[in-house]
Amino acid sequence: MTSKYVAFSVVTILFASVMSVGMQTSLHATELLPDITLTVPENKDYRDYLGLGGTPGEEFRLAEIDGDILLIELFSMYCPYCQAAAPKVNEFHTLARQQEEKGITIKVVGLGASNTQFEVEYFRDTYGIEFPLFPDKTLAMYKKLGGEGTPGFIGCLLGNKGEPVVVLRESGGFESPEGFLAQLLEKAGYK
Amino acid sequence: MSQRVFAVFMTLLFVVIVAIPALAKGPVTRFYNYIYDPGQLKPVDSHIKVKVGDIAPDFALPALSGKSVKLSSFRGENNVVISFIPAAWTPICSGQWPGYNIVEKHFRDNDAVLLGISVDNVPTLYAWTEQIGGLWFEVLSDFWPHGDVADKYGVLRSDGMADRALIFINKEGVITGLQVADINIRPPLEYVFQELDRFSSR
Repeated sequence: MTSKYVAFSVVTILFASVMSVGMQTSLHATELLPDITLTVPENKDYRDYLGLGGTPGEEFRLAEIDGDILLIELFSMYCPYCQAAAPKVNEFHTLARQQEEKGITIKVVGLGASNTQFEVEYFRDTYGIEFPLFPDKTLAMYKKLGGEGTPGFIGCLLGNKGEPVVVLRESGGFESPEGFLAQLLEKAGYK
Repeated sequence: MSQRVFAVFMTLLFVVIVAIPALAKGPVTRFYNYIYDPGQLKPVDSHIKVKVGDIAPDFALPALSGKSVKLSSFRGENNVVISFIPAAWTPICSGQWPGYNIVEKHFRDNDAVLLGISVDNVPTLYAWTEQIGGLWFEVLSDFWPHGDVADKYGVLRSDGMADRALIFINKEGVITGLQVADINIRPPLEYVFQELDRFSSR
């Protein structure tokens, strides 16, 4: 009788584990980045960073950003965890830029969930953020991207002629910028 | 004996499938899991009783710091901004006051103190603000008599919460600006800065 209970439990655990891993894999395997349109920034440094040729005020698609990997940060100026995470995200950005020496170009953009342009700029100035931040006042982009709280991160593989492929989703920040970079590179197939 | 073995395995099953994934989500996810979303509410459900140019009604309320904070104690010393919020542990409120943490300097530069007021009781406000990570300004409880101060200003809703309101009061105790916002929307920072800057431009 005991062996029947044990066998039942072991089979149940194995089944649940396999199902869980299988579901996660299938969710992320071929997810394309939703088509997101932003306004070409006035700031020339941002335009150069993103590799945009358009005129300020015109629209561009995230897919047009020049690079191999794109990391989108979903944040809010009002979110205490985004405030706390900002220095680590800056560290990540510095490390990401250093990857260019290895021939891998990683670009980072932030989308301010429910934030105005003024609020996004205040957040940028407060934490000395160097990568471009865009307001998402109506949460339209957040919803389209399937945001699940802030801070949230979506890593995408760019560089092929098709649509960007989502390779990583992370809600709630990360412990180590080095570890997060390694995770992103691995998911994007660079390690 | 067989039941004991079964119980051990079922416990393991729970740990593997439920407990470990829940803990692995980290502090941020756990906090947002505690937020209660009341859904879309009637945008404004009160009738403001004060206006720009009025002397702000005085009050004294218990603060999380343990003090009793009296509005008139700031007279002649500081400009005051009162931020009424509807309720702790709700989405918009949890994303309004923490934003003011990074604009503290702008308040100080304009000689202004911020008083956050909620109709929640002190223990609830304590737990919520600790979970948020702390706030630099005084948080006052308008719990008892319930919503008395909110009612004096005319921002008490029919369901006992306060409307989302900002009241700007100068050093003379005169209301210089006010806004009763849609309860479902956070007031933009631009408005707060505009009114703070007006303190110094007079």
